[in-house]
Amino acid sequence: MVKKLLTLFFSLVVIAALVVLPSCSSSTSSTPQVLRANISGEPSQIDPNRASWSTERTVIMQVFEGLLGFNQDLSLTAVGAKEIPTVANKGISADGKTYTFKLNSKVTWSDGQKVTASDYEYSIKRLFSPDLAAEYTSFYFDIVGGETYYSAIDADDATKAQLKDAIGVKAIDDTTLEIKLYAPRPTFLQLMALWPVYPVRQDIIEQYGDQWTEPAHYIGNGPFIMTEWAHEDHITLVKNTNYWGTKPKLDQVVLKMITDINSEYAAYLNNELDISQVPAGIEQSVMDDATLSKEILRYPELVTFAFQFNVNVEPFNNKNLRKALNAAIDRESFINNVRAGVGQPAYSWIPPGMPGYDASLGADYHFNVTKAKEFLVAAGYKEDGSDVPELRLQYADTGVNPTIAQFVQNQIKVNLGIDVSIEPMERKAFTEAVNAEQYTWAWYGWGADYPDPDNWLPELFGTGAGNNHTGYSNGAFDDLCVQAKQELDNTKRLALWADAQAMIVDDAPVLFIQYRERFRLVKPSVQGLKYTGMDGDAPGDMFFANVYIK
Amino acid sequence: MTKFIIHRIFWLIVVLLVVSFITFSLMHLVPGGPWDKEKTLAPQVVDALNKKYGLDKPFFVQFGDYLVNLLHGDLGVSYSRQDRSVTSILLTGLPKTATLGVVAFALAIIIGIPLGMAAALKQNSIIDYLSVLFSTIFASIPGFVLGILLIIIFSVKLHWLPTGGWGSVKQIIMPAFALATLPAAFIARITRASTLEVMRQDYVRTAQAMGIRQHVILFRHILRNSLIPVITVAGPELAFLISGSFIIENLFSIPGIGRLFVNGVFARDYGLIMGSILFYAFAVAAINLIVDVFYAVIDPRIRFD
Repeated sequence: MVKKLLTLFFSLVVIAALVVLPSCSSSTSSTPQVLRANISGEPSQIDPNRASWSTERTVIMQVFEGLLGFNQDLSLTAVGAKEIPTVANKGISADGKTYTFKLNSKVTWSDGQKVTASDYEYSIKRLFSPDLAAEYTSFYFDIVGGETYYSAIDADDATKAQLKDAIGVKAIDDTTLEIKLYAPRPTFLQLMALWPVYPVRQDIIEQYGDQWTEPAHYIGNGPFIMTEWAHEDHITLVKNTNYWGTKPKLDQVVLKMITDINSEYAAYLNNELDISQVPAGIEQSVMDDATLSKEILRYPELVTFAFQFNVNVEPFNNKNLRKALNAAIDRESFINNVRAGVGQPAYSWIPPGMPGYDASLGADYHFNVTKAKEFLVAAGYKEDGSDVPELRLQYADTGVNPTIAQFVQNQIKVNLGIDVSIEPMERKAFTEAVNAEQYTWAWYGWGADYPDPDNWLPELFGTGAGNNHTGYSNGAFDDLCVQAKQELDNTKRLALWADAQAMIVDDAPVLFIQYRERFRLVKPSVQGLKYTGMDGDAPGDMFFANVYIK
Repeated sequence: MTKFIIHRIFWLIVVLLVVSFITFSLMHLVPGGPWDKEKTLAPQVVDALNKKYGLDKPFFVQFGDYLVNLLHGDLGVSYSRQDRSVTSILLTGLPKTATLGVVAFALAIIIGIPLGMAAALKQNSIIDYLSVLFSTIFASIPGFVLGILLIIIFSVKLHWLPTGGWGSVKQIIMPAFALATLPAAFIARITRASTLEVMRQDYVRTAQAMGIRQHVILFRHILRNSLIPVITVAGPELAFLISGSFIIENLFSIPGIGRLFVNGVFARDYGLIMGSILFYAFAVAAINLIVDVFYAVIDPRIRFD
């Protein structure tokens, strides 16, 4: 009897072991390959031609690829194109006005169809459609006929069709795309790496209209496909089995839409997210935390923060006063004591990591009260600042802006004796006031659309340029920009940009504050993250396909 | 009663018209428009967008177009959630907000009424003092502060509940509680005062003198009559709760009407703002109408004719 019981007992143990052990081994060996990140809100839409904001771009960059792309160092790489066009490979005409892209024949859509040159032609011409009203179209107005078509809002359909046909984009055959420009544009290839000119599918768009971006119809050519868009909550992406390149290691990417940064941080702490922002002001406590300090990811962004002066109103029309204010700010103290060391002091405009960054610029603006007072006297004011009228500083009342404004207010008062009144404003009201130049001195920031001075100087400081709200106008600067924008020799081009930036630093239409730094948390299980200074809200969103979960 | 309801529906339409005009006017008066962005759009782009969304037309033409579309049940398009109609966006958010509101309302009733009644029945006892203490705490702590505390305790420290989102019962618990505490405190205070008043009525004393058992007096005479003022305040509370709490929905990442409205305002998304406001106005007016009808049912002394 005892023997029978023992036999039964051991049999049960063996059966249990057989049942349990495989499940144990499978649970340890198959870590779910799911990356959970946050895009901070519902994308306005995810149509590549129309997208403009980082939330939209993050989704699009997983599902689509362009002719060209960026490497982690932000150099160009061929993706949908077989190679990067150059004059030597006859991809760029000798006059720099015609670009010919040879397509990578391996690239397919997620439904298996080949991506052809006609897909690109359709997409770029669609980008210029006035009825689409895409926001980034103006970047591509150098393409022949593009601006004319886009501006023909009130034209009849027949005229619009003619204008569309006249656009200088043409599929020569299935694998050759030709684009004609009005004038040489050395940065055109960088523009061709951006999302507005990614290919989109004509048949799908014509069949489903505005609904083509819903998961069932959202056909792309990138490493992932979208399987779910729970509006206002999350988007789910899974790997595209038809992807032509190296298949993603991740099975799934879940992009949450948490709008509140504190909620995002709490979700990270509760292990609901793998990547999170850190709310402003608690960076030091994160650095002091034994666990979290090992999960910090820091790297420079291509973003410069400053305060712009309206140089057409008193007293900011006085260059030496602007220089005095620039020299009176202890930026190192701000970054070390207020921002817990996150960020880098800025004394010039183009940030580190960009072609054109020059650490030697802005030497006059390193914190120096004596120098600041000299500039003040040169501006025609007393050394103690007592005869300077009160300065008005406006900013959008969000994030760390109030802290920065208060810091600058205090510095100007303590170091130059000048009173500064600070005026927080609702974000949209502030933006409208600045865009209409109805301000005197205002918070200002610029992030890279593409990594070139072309995107950092003429658009912001050129006479009458769309994003020049300082009223700054300098003929010599404008001339340099015109030359640099068309100079095909890269060394000469960068030299021209260097001269142009030096003018901006010397004329000081802005008060340089800091180059922003990314300060994020990433779970140790997330491996292979490749980040760049141009990432969206989620670090590494340009290369999620490389990520895996350990 | 029918005449009363028809009369109220007529005024509901008038109210919605007035609300829509005021909202439409305010939206266009407030500084900043939908295309004012940190990176300024090219003039051609702004022209194209204005044309596409009809913002190039005169104010009254825009308002007229809006009303005509509204009569056809079309709330227009969203500028910040392009490709989606405002109606579809609100219909996506409505079930979430309504569910959260109803759960929070039920919690407020479940907490508030017993708390108030216990305080009244044991007036000046430790129970009364504790009840008043809880009501005061609930009324004093703003919902978003309580929400943050709940997240820190139950999500970050204990890992019992998710920090937010929508789709599971676990995700409703904290936002519903954070949303319920203020109305619970309010209902508890009203219930206590009302119960004390009823307890001093002659018919209660008569019932006690007749030797009717305490629980019969409590449930048959005191409870029913003391709830009339509670219902009066509960209606607007319900309307408030199912209209969505901007802050709670944002804090707990609930994709409801409240969060949509806030996003709409920040983005100057005129279509979404108009749709949300009209929804609020309709919800408040409709619930008040229902409460008035319910009021007559529970108290036969009230007549509408």
